[in-house]
Amino acid sequence: MAEGAEAAAEAIASLSTSDAPSKNALKKELKKKQKEEEKRKKEEENMKKKAAEAANPQSQKALAAADDEDMDPTQYYNNRLKVLSSSKEVGVNPYPHKFQVSMTIVEYVEKYGSLSDGEHLKEVEVSLAGRIMNKRASSLKLFFYDLHGSGAKVQVMADARDSDMDENEFSKYHAGVKRGDIVGITGYPGKSKRGELSIFPKKFIVLSPCLHMMPRQKAGPSVANASAKKNEERPTPYVWVPGMTRNPETYVLKDQETRYRQRYLDLMLNHEVRQIFRTRARIISYIRSFLDNLGFLEVETPMMNMIAGGAAAKPFVTHHNELNMKLYMRIAPELYLKELVVGGLDRVYEIGKQFRNEGIDLTHNPEFTTCEFYMAFADYNDLMAVTEQMLAGMVKELTGGYKIKYHANGVDKDPIEIDFTPPFRRIDMIEGLESMANLDIPKDLSSEAANKYLVDACAKFDVKCPPPQTTARLLDKLVGHFLEETCVNPTFIINHPEIMSPLAKWHRSKPGLTERFELFVNKHEVCNAYTELNDPVVQRERFAAQLKDRQSGDDEAMALDETFVTALEYGLPPTGGWGLGIDRLAMLFTDSQNIKEVLLFPAMKPQDEPSSKA
Amino acid sequence: MMDALRVWRASSHLIGFASMAAAAAVPTASRTRFRFHQIRCCSSAAAAPAAATPAPATSDRRRRSPSSTSDRESVRAIRLKKVEELRSKGYEPYAYKWDRSNTAKELQDAYDHLASGEECKEVSVSISGRVIARRAFGKLAFLTLRDDSGTIQLYCEKESLTDDLFEQLKTFVDIGDILGASGSIKKTEKGELSVYVKYFKILTKSLLPLPDKYHGLNDVDKRYRQRYVDMIANPEVADVFRIRAKIVSEIRKTMESLGFIEVETPVLQGAAGGAEARPFVTYHNSLGRDLYLRIATELHLKRMLVGGLEKVYEIGRIFRNEGISTRHNPEFTTIEMYEAYSDYESMMTMAEEIVTRCALAVHGKLNIDYQGTKISLQRPWRRQSMHNLVKEATGVDFNEFGDNVEAAKEVAQGILRTKMEDKSDTLLGTCPSVGHVLNEVFETIIESTLIQPTFVLDYPIEISPLAKPHRRYTGLTERFELFICGREIANAFSELTDPIDQRSRFEEQIKQHNAKRAALTAESKSTEVQSGVDDYAYEVALDEDFVTSLEYGMPPASGMGLGIDRLVMLLTNSASIRDVIAFPVLKIQQ
Repeated sequence: MAEGAEAAAEAIASLSTSDAPSKNALKKELKKKQKEEEKRKKEEENMKKKAAEAANPQSQKALAAADDEDMDPTQYYNNRLKVLSSSKEVGVNPYPHKFQVSMTIVEYVEKYGSLSDGEHLKEVEVSLAGRIMNKRASSLKLFFYDLHGSGAKVQVMADARDSDMDENEFSKYHAGVKRGDIVGITGYPGKSKRGELSIFPKKFIVLSPCLHMMPRQKAGPSVANASAKKNEERPTPYVWVPGMTRNPETYVLKDQETRYRQRYLDLMLNHEVRQIFRTRARIISYIRSFLDNLGFLEVETPMMNMIAGGAAAKPFVTHHNELNMKLYMRIAPELYLKELVVGGLDRVYEIGKQFRNEGIDLTHNPEFTTCEFYMAFADYNDLMAVTEQMLAGMVKELTGGYKIKYHANGVDKDPIEIDFTPPFRRIDMIEGLESMANLDIPKDLSSEAANKYLVDACAKFDVKCPPPQTTARLLDKLVGHFLEETCVNPTFIINHPEIMSPLAKWHRSKPGLTERFELFVNKHEVCNAYTELNDPVVQRERFAAQLKDRQSGDDEAMALDETFVTALEYGLPPTGGWGLGIDRLAMLFTDSQNIKEVLLFPAMKPQDEPSSKA
Repeated sequence: MMDALRVWRASSHLIGFASMAAAAAVPTASRTRFRFHQIRCCSSAAAAPAAATPAPATSDRRRRSPSSTSDRESVRAIRLKKVEELRSKGYEPYAYKWDRSNTAKELQDAYDHLASGEECKEVSVSISGRVIARRAFGKLAFLTLRDDSGTIQLYCEKESLTDDLFEQLKTFVDIGDILGASGSIKKTEKGELSVYVKYFKILTKSLLPLPDKYHGLNDVDKRYRQRYVDMIANPEVADVFRIRAKIVSEIRKTMESLGFIEVETPVLQGAAGGAEARPFVTYHNSLGRDLYLRIATELHLKRMLVGGLEKVYEIGRIFRNEGISTRHNPEFTTIEMYEAYSDYESMMTMAEEIVTRCALAVHGKLNIDYQGTKISLQRPWRRQSMHNLVKEATGVDFNEFGDNVEAAKEVAQGILRTKMEDKSDTLLGTCPSVGHVLNEVFETIIESTLIQPTFVLDYPIEISPLAKPHRRYTGLTERFELFICGREIANAFSELTDPIDQRSRFEEQIKQHNAKRAALTAESKSTEVQSGVDDYAYEVALDEDFVTSLEYGMPPASGMGLGIDRLVMLLTNSASIRDVIAFPVLKIQQ
């Protein structure tokens, strides 16, 4: 600790001596700076007086408010820039190289949270660093701050009597500290008489000034309090955990454009946001260790391909200059992963980005993250068991139970409960559709008759299917209307027709169907898996059929990949293959209705104006 | 398909001329590349005894190395017929699943103690894998089965098999087929541990003959283009990918143990920043705009520091629209990490920590061999400033030039001329500062000599637009690069946190880029040489959003990027990046 303080002091000392200007110039600058400081101080004191007059015992809050809130943001920014350049002119680097932290704020709260009210540990020295999110001046000799870092908060009680600065210096320095500044503090731990854990600084250094006025919660002084008030059933201080509901409408920073474009502000001001991304990281890490424990090998396959295969979607196109080669961003890693199984890696998986050149909406981003795994000698029945085990296990680990709350109908309606208790419900696709909609679909789904029957069925139930009205698309719409709508708790829709599943193996006992399942949760597809088609002859026929759909205008039909079919000719063992949309899963566990909530930097439409300085 | 056939033909012409085949396939092959091939051949030969049963030399060899495309086609035709026949007999040649009780290695380990001729009648095991060798006699057949873990022999006796299975085996099973088999355990008289087969099932009928281990796979191009064929022929190829997974996993474990959180930042960006490289461009239809593939993750990860995530990292793919070589693939994997309240000193510790932990996970020791060179990863590693390294090697102290670029160039030319014939003029010609000249000399003279792990410290500010100025030395930054075996493995610095300084550095970078582009364009007009111009023909944009984020205040921090492919090359003794990337980008086949 002592070392840390020394290092910090040293850093500053060495900074002030490096490329030092002449003594005279330095003196001049100092004088100039002093004058400016005095002027500023006067102004501030005036403002404080005013505020003190205006308010009564609550003058603390009024002082803090007067500090920034009255100023125009541009003027505020320009003032800050001026302070920066004047400190640079006198050879003080406003951005020190290093501050040695002795513990995180989380650790500090853990270690000293149990002090009794009014207890001070003056002999202990601790160095903390973080961002000032609230400032209250009690007098020129006493300042209170909220210091935020690593997801926790601690009060700073800066008393001139504890400081290594003299009183004058102290008041001046602290008058220049703004909400939003990142500071390093070396001091001793203690609790205020009212029982608030605090740090009492001996040294207080601004490490990185915030040049902009920070957006502030109008309703109350602190974020945690505010959200606690709005969610009265929750204990205070409440900590959000996965599976709980969230309401971004109650956030300090509500504006979606700002939240998504300047995610750092979102993270600073809306404390749950950090937990969203922590949850996302935990989901991925859970999947990884789950698969590692089953003996799977994590691999990386190309994101740029000569042919975009393995799924039906519009790819992004790019160009390699030196090779003069057109490349597609991958839409799925499926074909490469199966090639590796052919090569003898019996259990492989990849967690990574896929890219689809499609519109942006509440559930779609042009790049998204999936996990795909391939398991030799297993079939889709095995994979359903694996899926249940993985997802139920994950929910249990993240939330402690099997049930999560989700605002399926918007944040203004009551949340629904989604139950991940295994086993999950199973619906046979065609049988289910027939019984649900009272249909009798012709058995030969590739026939004209079947197509006509489904066109009529769609018309009858007013299910829209924009052209091309291929049988696969018609079925997809009907299934969406009748079956997916019922899948709130995790449900497997199984045994898709061959025409909808060009890479899945024909069903061992039901002609025309495949051994495939999709897992739906809250009416959205989360997983897609099948017993892999490994007969190269049949695979080639399926690709040919896709080509036919392509020619009839379905540009989402799959393209033929010869290298892949050749791989099948060398022999792909019986294999179960599985894909999971990680963003969708993250949305469910974080009560997010918009995929942008779970992406740090979602794709945004271009703005007409440069990003707002919030 | 046609591609594959063509490659096959090319390789089959060269049977018996293994080394020539390698050389012919890669006309530009460097010496190291060539050496690498011999190593591969040796190792595959060395691995052969593991595939215990020697391949039945004459009869099978003929079938496995068809001398022309038509042979291959006839093999396929014959096997397609077998598929039909099997189906007509009620067998599905593409089975749905197989429950295996053990892997080959598990059995080899568990029953190693059996004496020759000893049998464990009471046990019942089931295994599955690819048939890689087959010998059939009157009433006895031996198959060698390979799975993910290793190989095991199948001992098939007519009497012990149910129904007409033995006949089926003789008629329908080919090398390359994937088989499931169950039975008891027996060590043969010759000491070969075997599954004494009671029942077997063809799980997947293969249609193509396996590549010939000793000849076919010297075709480098085919090895990379059809990696699965490479892996079937040379099982040790898969070991590289197993080690790769282990290394990445070890890195993750290290980061997590230190409290770092893994995040994902976008690949598609409005402007590609964080490094100096030509980006890939693509177009988003519904947004109606160009997007760039990221060339680094730096600028987005630093925004996370601003947001209050104090320790973040991302392991992910980076894309650079540049040439391919044994060290470069257009897409490659890096880890970038950022830690608040630390400086580049702590990143040196971090680099040592990561690399040594990975080496220990892979090799169990810190003294490793790379392409015949002994490398010691014992800590601490050498630390030396760039200036001192250059001074040591050339006797020139670049500090003495001050801002005098011309003087520096003149001296540098003298140094480089001996090393580079006449290319030095163009290299130095575009250098706008002494720092650039110094870097040019460093890269040409010093880099390749840094064999043992070396931290090169304190890079000139002109070539380090995102690094913080050095707290003691004007004109330098707190930056290091880590070199091992003459290759850059990592790049790190105390991060620049001053938004005003950052903006002017970006502006300077753009100015330099545009000047270079203009100079090269002018030059190419006069000399009609197009190469080089292209390298700078892209736009560099100032990332305003990033500068704004700095204005909100980024804590003092340090960050590091580490090339995972290069680390895997080092720890798997692989000469080319293509050996550690499962599907490398290759030139279009003619």
